[in-house]
Amino acid sequence: MVLLTVDGIECRYGSVKVLEDVSLSVKGGDFVGILGPNGSGKTTLLKSISRILKPHKGTILLNKADIYSLKSIDVAKQLAVVPQDTSIGFNFAVLDIVLMGRNPHMKRLQMESERDMAVARKVMNLTNIWHLAERPINELSGGEKQRVIIARALAQEPKILLLDEPLTHLDIVNQLEIMDLVKDLCIEEKLIILAVFHDFNLAARYCGSAIMLKKGKIFSVGNLADVLNSENIKSVFNVDAIVTKHLVTNSIFVIPLSPQKLSPSKKCSIHLICGAGTGTALMKILLDEGYSVTAGVLNVLDTDFETAQFLKIPVTTEAPFSPITKKTHKANLTMISEASTVVLTSVPFGDGNLQNLEAALIAVKKGIPTFVIEEVPIERRDFTGGKARALLAELKNKGAEFVKDQNELLSLLNVSVEKLKIAKEERDRLLDHLKPEKIPKEIKTKGKDKKK
Amino acid sequence: MNMDKVENTFFQRASRWKIIILLLILALIITVIISLNMGFAPIPFSDILGIIGKQIPFFDRLFDFSLVSPVNEAIVLEVRLPRIIAGVLIGAALAASGVLYQGVFKNPMADSYVLGVSAGAAVGASASILFGAGVMFFELRLIQIAAFVGAVSALFLVYNLARVGSRVPVTTLLLCGIAVNFFLFAVVSVLEIIAANRLHDIVFWLMGGYSNVYWQHIWAILPFIVIGIATAFFYVRDLNILAMGEETAHHLGVNVERSKLILLVLASLITAAAVSVCGLIGFVGLMIPHLTRLVIGPDHRILLPTSTIVGAIFLVLCDDLARVLSTFFGPMSTRDWPVGIITMLCGAPFFIFLLKKKKRSYGT
Repeated sequence: MVLLTVDGIECRYGSVKVLEDVSLSVKGGDFVGILGPNGSGKTTLLKSISRILKPHKGTILLNKADIYSLKSIDVAKQLAVVPQDTSIGFNFAVLDIVLMGRNPHMKRLQMESERDMAVARKVMNLTNIWHLAERPINELSGGEKQRVIIARALAQEPKILLLDEPLTHLDIVNQLEIMDLVKDLCIEEKLIILAVFHDFNLAARYCGSAIMLKKGKIFSVGNLADVLNSENIKSVFNVDAIVTKHLVTNSIFVIPLSPQKLSPSKKCSIHLICGAGTGTALMKILLDEGYSVTAGVLNVLDTDFETAQFLKIPVTTEAPFSPITKKTHKANLTMISEASTVVLTSVPFGDGNLQNLEAALIAVKKGIPTFVIEEVPIERRDFTGGKARALLAELKNKGAEFVKDQNELLSLLNVSVEKLKIAKEERDRLLDHLKPEKIPKEIKTKGKDKKK
Repeated sequence: MNMDKVENTFFQRASRWKIIILLLILALIITVIISLNMGFAPIPFSDILGIIGKQIPFFDRLFDFSLVSPVNEAIVLEVRLPRIIAGVLIGAALAASGVLYQGVFKNPMADSYVLGVSAGAAVGASASILFGAGVMFFELRLIQIAAFVGAVSALFLVYNLARVGSRVPVTTLLLCGIAVNFFLFAVVSVLEIIAANRLHDIVFWLMGGYSNVYWQHIWAILPFIVIGIATAFFYVRDLNILAMGEETAHHLGVNVERSKLILLVLASLITAAAVSVCGLIGFVGLMIPHLTRLVIGPDHRILLPTSTIVGAIFLVLCDDLARVLSTFFGPMSTRDWPVGIITMLCGAPFFIFLLKKKKRSYGT
C-alpha cells in the first residue's frame, strides 16, 4: 500500500514563507481534503508534494523514499496531478492528450502499445469522454477539457492523485460524477487522494479527513468532522457558518453566513416573539442592520433557539417541548420591557405558547411599538380553538402594526426608528420647557395631545 | 460502436506516418535531380542520372557511363551538387530547429532569431569580413568559423542571463534572447558603418545565400546537422508533452529542465551550423514548421521529420529560383541573387494563403 509522508516542510517563494512546519501522513485509501482561504498555502502544499517547489526544510517521502531524490519518470508512475488551470499550446486531439498520460510507462522512441490504448480507453470511458476522442482539445467546452485532464492523470495509473480545485469549470452534475469516480478509485484501488476544495459541502461529502491551513500553517487536521466545525471556520475563514448534519446525505453540511456587515449600531433593541424557525432569518438581518436583538420565549432545541444561540442573542428559554410557565413568562415580560420595539412573527400558536401572544398584548398596552408579521393567516396557524385569533384581533385593536412580510417590516422599522428619535428629541425638548419656572399652558396640552 | 474505429484509425497512424515520410523523401530526391538540371549549362537528365549512378558503389558496374562528358561531370559534382546538398542540409536544419524552438517556447513566433543565435552569427561573420577576409583554416573560410562561434556564444550568453538558480523559465529566456538579439544587431550596424568598402559583403551575407559553397563547407556542417536532428528525435515526445505546460510535463514524468536544455542546445547547434554557411535566411525556420503543422497536425513525432524534409525541398526550390533569376536578370552584380530574398518573397504569400484556407482548425 502506498504511503505518503510530509515531514515538517517549510516552503518559500524568495524570502516569503508560504508554508511552515506542515506535516501529514496518508496511506492508500485516504481521501484528504485541503481547506483554507486564498493564499493559505493549499496549492503550494500540492506543488511541493508534486516536486514543483522544493521545500526549504523538511522532507516528503513516497513509500519511504525522498520524493526529490527520485527520477521524474518514476514519480510520474505513482503520482498524478490535476492542476488548477490548464492551457494547451498546440491543438492536439483528445486521445493524444490522454495518451500523454502513458508517457511515464513508455520508453523513448516507443509508440503507444495496445495496452496503453486499453488504459486510455478505460479512463476515457470512466470520465465519459470516449466520444470526444478525435476532437481537437481547443474546440471543447471548459468542463469537457477538465474531464480530459482528469482522464490524462488517471491514464498514468497513479497511486496518488493530487487535485487542485478540480471542479472549477464543471457544472453540478459533472462535479458529482467526477467526485464519485474519484471516490470509487480511492476505495477500490486504494488510491491516496489529496484534493483542494473551496466548497465545504463537496469536501464534507467526499473526504474522510481534512487539513485546514491558515497562513501557511496547519490549523487543524484529522477527521473531517473534527476539522470542519464552525469554530475552525470562524477562525480560519473569518466567516460565521452553521454546521449541521444533512438529513439526506448524512454528511456534514455547512452554511456559511455572509460576513457581518458593520452597520452603525442603532441603539435600538428589538424583542422577537417567534418560534419554529419563523424568526431565524430575521435575527440575522436585524443584527446586520445594527439593532440589538432579544427573543423569547423559545423552547430549547427549537430552530429559532439554535439560531439565537449561534448568533449570541439573549433569549428567554423554556424546557424542550414544554408549555411556557409563569416564571418564564415573567422573565420574558422583563425582557420585553427593556426593548424599544417588539416584533411578532407568523409563528403557529398552540396552548403551549399562547402566553407569548399575551406577552405581545402586554407590550402594546405598555406603549411599546409592536409589529405583527402576518405572512400566514392566523386561521391556518391557530391551534387553540380561536383563542389565538381573538388575541390577535385584540392586538390589532390596541394599535399593533400589522405587516405582510419581513421586507415591509424592515422598511417600517427604519421609519419607526427615525420616528422614535424625533419623538425622543421632542420629549426632551418638552421636558426642558416643563421645568418649573416656565410652563406655558399651550405646550402642556400639546404634549398631552401627542400622548394620545 | 465507434470504439474500434477510433482505435483502428489511431493504430493505422504509424503506417500512415511512414508513408508520408517516404513520399516526402521521394519528393526530395526528385527535387534534387531536377535542380541538378538547372543552371547556365543545360545538362540532360540522362547524364545527371549517369553521373550520380557512377558515384554509387555496385551501381557503377551495372551500367555504362562512358558517354557522360567529364565537363558535365565536373559541373554536376563540383558546382551544382554541393550547392544543392547545402540547400538540403540548410533547409532541413532551419526547419528542424524552428520546430524545436517553437515546441520548447510554445510560441508560434519563435525561431532561430529568438535566442540571438542568428544575431551572434551575424556579428561573427561581419567582424570576420571586416578584419580577416580571406583567412582560411583547414580549407574553411574564417567567416564560417566566426559565424559558428558567434552563434554558439550568443546562445550561452542568453542561456546564462536567463538562468534563475537551476531553472530557466521560458519567458525570461525569450526576453533575454530578444534583448541580446537587438544588442547584437546593433553591433552589426556599427560594424556596417565602419565597414566602408566591405559594406556590400556584409549586407549580402545578412541577406542569406550560399552561392559559392564547396564540399569542404558541407563536410564541416554535416555532422552537426545530422547528429543534431537525429538526437532531437529522442525528445520528440517530450516536446509534445511540453506543449501541455512545464508543470504538467513535469507531472507526466518529463525531466523538464534537462529536456529543455538539450533541445535548445541541439536547435542552436543545428542553426549555428547552417547559418555559418548561408548567412541569415529568413522564413524557413519560422514558417515551414507552421506550414507543416497546418497540414499534418501538432504531433512532434511526425512534425519534426516532415518539417525537416519540407524545409529541405523548399530551400532547394528557392535556390533554383534564385539561380534562374540570376540567369535572366544578372549579371547585375557578379553574384547570384541571395536565396534569403526568394524564401521570403515566395514563402510568405503561400503561407498566408494556407492560413486563410485552414483558419478554423488553426487555434493555438
